[in-house]
Amino acid sequence: MPDSILIEPVMEAPLHPTDRARLRAENLRVAYGPKEVLKGVSLDIPANQVTAIIGPSGCGKSTFLKCFNRIHELSGPAKVTGRIELDGRDLMAMREVELRRRVGMVFQKPNPFPKSIYDNVAFGPRLFGVRGRSDLDGAVEDGLRKAALWDEVKDRLADSAQGLSGGQQQRLCIARALAVQPEVLLMDEPCSALDPIATARIEELLFDLKRELTIVIVTHNMQQAARASDRTAFLWLGELVEEGPTETIFTNPGKPMTEDYITGRFG
Amino acid sequence: MKKLDLRPRLSARIMDGAMKVALWAVALGFIAALLVVMGAILKQGWPVLNWGFLSKMPETLDAGGGVRPQLFNSIYLVALSLAGSLPIGIGAGIYMAEYAKEGRLTGFFRLCVETLSATPSIVLALFGLMVFVQALDWSFSIRSGACALAMLNIPILTRVTELSLRGVPQEMKEASYGLGATKLQTILRVLLPAAAPGLLTGTVLAAGRAFGESAVLVFTAGTNTSMTYPDFSLKAPGETLAVHLWYVVSDGTLPDAREIAAGTAAVMVLVLLVMNIVVRLLDRRLKRHAR
Amino acid sequence: MNRHYDEDLKHLREGLTAMAGQVEWMLDLTLRSLLERRDDLADRVSALDASVDEQELKLDKSCIDLLALGAPVARDLRLVASALKIIPEIERIGDHCCNIARRAKLLNPQPLVLPAEAMERLGRDTRDMVRQAVDAFVRGDAALARAVIAADDQVDTLYMDIYRDLLRRMLGDPLCIERASHLILVAKNWERIADQATNIAEEVLFILEGRNVKHPHLQDPP
Repeated sequence: MPDSILIEPVMEAPLHPTDRARLRAENLRVAYGPKEVLKGVSLDIPANQVTAIIGPSGCGKSTFLKCFNRIHELSGPAKVTGRIELDGRDLMAMREVELRRRVGMVFQKPNPFPKSIYDNVAFGPRLFGVRGRSDLDGAVEDGLRKAALWDEVKDRLADSAQGLSGGQQQRLCIARALAVQPEVLLMDEPCSALDPIATARIEELLFDLKRELTIVIVTHNMQQAARASDRTAFLWLGELVEEGPTETIFTNPGKPMTEDYITGRFG
Repeated sequence: MKKLDLRPRLSARIMDGAMKVALWAVALGFIAALLVVMGAILKQGWPVLNWGFLSKMPETLDAGGGVRPQLFNSIYLVALSLAGSLPIGIGAGIYMAEYAKEGRLTGFFRLCVETLSATPSIVLALFGLMVFVQALDWSFSIRSGACALAMLNIPILTRVTELSLRGVPQEMKEASYGLGATKLQTILRVLLPAAAPGLLTGTVLAAGRAFGESAVLVFTAGTNTSMTYPDFSLKAPGETLAVHLWYVVSDGTLPDAREIAAGTAAVMVLVLLVMNIVVRLLDRRLKRHAR
Repeated sequence: MNRHYDEDLKHLREGLTAMAGQVEWMLDLTLRSLLERRDDLADRVSALDASVDEQELKLDKSCIDLLALGAPVARDLRLVASALKIIPEIERIGDHCCNIARRAKLLNPQPLVLPAEAMERLGRDTRDMVRQAVDAFVRGDAALARAVIAADDQVDTLYMDIYRDLLRRMLGDPLCIERASHLILVAKNWERIADQATNIAEEVLFILEGRNVKHPHLQDPP
């Protein structure tokens, strides 16, 4: 028997091992006009883990996600009460430009700008005044490498981003978000428009990215939540029903409602 | 359950084919009409068109005059009016699309813009006559004409800008804001570039309309031309090709009025054609990344 | 979720119950062939075992299909995963019955070594444990499953008593050594069956409560 089999596998430790919550929502309520979308959700999102948020359509999971970089404010005037924190700081009091740099977002539909691949990734750094050619080149390469897209596009950075496949476009959007060096990445059903192979590549990516980032992903796909996340939170009608380690939620959920939802016997 | 007869219906196929033929016929009819009009204009104008016609000053009583100052004035006036109306129109459009909160005031403003863009040009002409020519005492001049033309263009440009900006997918905005862009950065770096093809089309429409406009200019830029050439003075009288065409035909003192009119019309058509081709090429460049 | 998937889960439960029922019947026959000294009953046990093996193959396939096609989670996942472990346990019980029945045929023509009561008690208790474990599965009765696990110690004690008794007899009468060693193996088979009933009961508790109750000393307190 070769010796190597006797050697214990080395677990890759996260770069910043920490147990504290990076994001925290406390009794978060969000209402658009008379319609209350979130009805007092409290959730801690630990650093360097992938937290999946699941729930039926209209349960408020997307709104919940968007609150963490306040992009929900684009969908109209919302009344927000309760507290949302990033590293212990009140997120509603932060300047949104700073907040959104630190908390990046990837959307449901790949949404590259109608610009070249290079300009798409360089867009973020340029917003913050990065002008030097070598700085920009570095940021673009870094973003594309982390999004596992560099090898596929390095010879055609000047080509239009809209010529890429759907999966590549979504990874470009991830690269674009990573280029401003965020601490948190919010993903709103990032694979719902992708085929299984492109989906698998993105899920693989999550695994690598969480060493440096905290990731929150909203998904409709139970299997994706089970495969890709460390923790799972189940929202229903604007309320948090249950949250916990993903393996517990998927083998032995605590609430019958969670059980019904993940086994597809809901309603 | 009753078994439904779901065989493809012959009638549906016939209707489908008939509709296709009808639409083709309409399209071909348009192209034919255009070719007939263009052909008639160019056929009549062609004998007159030569370098002399384009480079000579007009005559008032004798045959053989040219349209040099009118051609210059047409282009100069359109350029001046666009220089004035583009910033205002696009600015107002950006305001309407991105800044204005939906409410009664915004609705009223939009109503004004729409009314203004549908105002008959003769009304605008009289407004220009009263305000620029008389009240401001600018007389019949390039500046009066340019301002009146700008009044004509601004509502069109405002509307086109607002619509093009609203046509940019919400996802683009989210992407930009999501990366930490400010509102101004989002407008300048994402929305305007994405809306550029629409803006370009709108600008061309406005320029084309200004180029062909006569009523407004008769009462503001006048029916005379400067004695010097080229005269960039804003105070100079500024008769354009379109006004000249109207004036020559309706005044009738020129022995070769018909020929001059035909030649002038041909020049206008050709200028518009060149303008549209140039814009097409520009548009293709703009859309290179939006394939 | 589609109806098909629910149907498949139901079929798995039913198939498992049917297989267990057949093995319960084999246990009865085995016990009677031993106590009533009847070879014909022993033969029927062997005949039934072939059908149990067939059912094992079929149920294994249902489980794998359910995992591959239905991607079960939560309670469904626990059911299928546990079924995969319960099925071989039941099949092994069938095999043990065959072993006992074969030895019964060897012993039947020969004089008794042991008073019938001792072996009868071991056999009955073991058979009851299997029955209760299967009942716990069918009815979803966690208390009953716990009772089965608790009963295992008693069966172990019975087995040790019989073992010691037989050793003593062999020392006293060398002529009975062959018969007595067969009986030791029979007792050992009963004891193994009781262990398997315990394993089944543990799986039933996992299905019902999602908690693994095996090897409590290795586990964190809940």
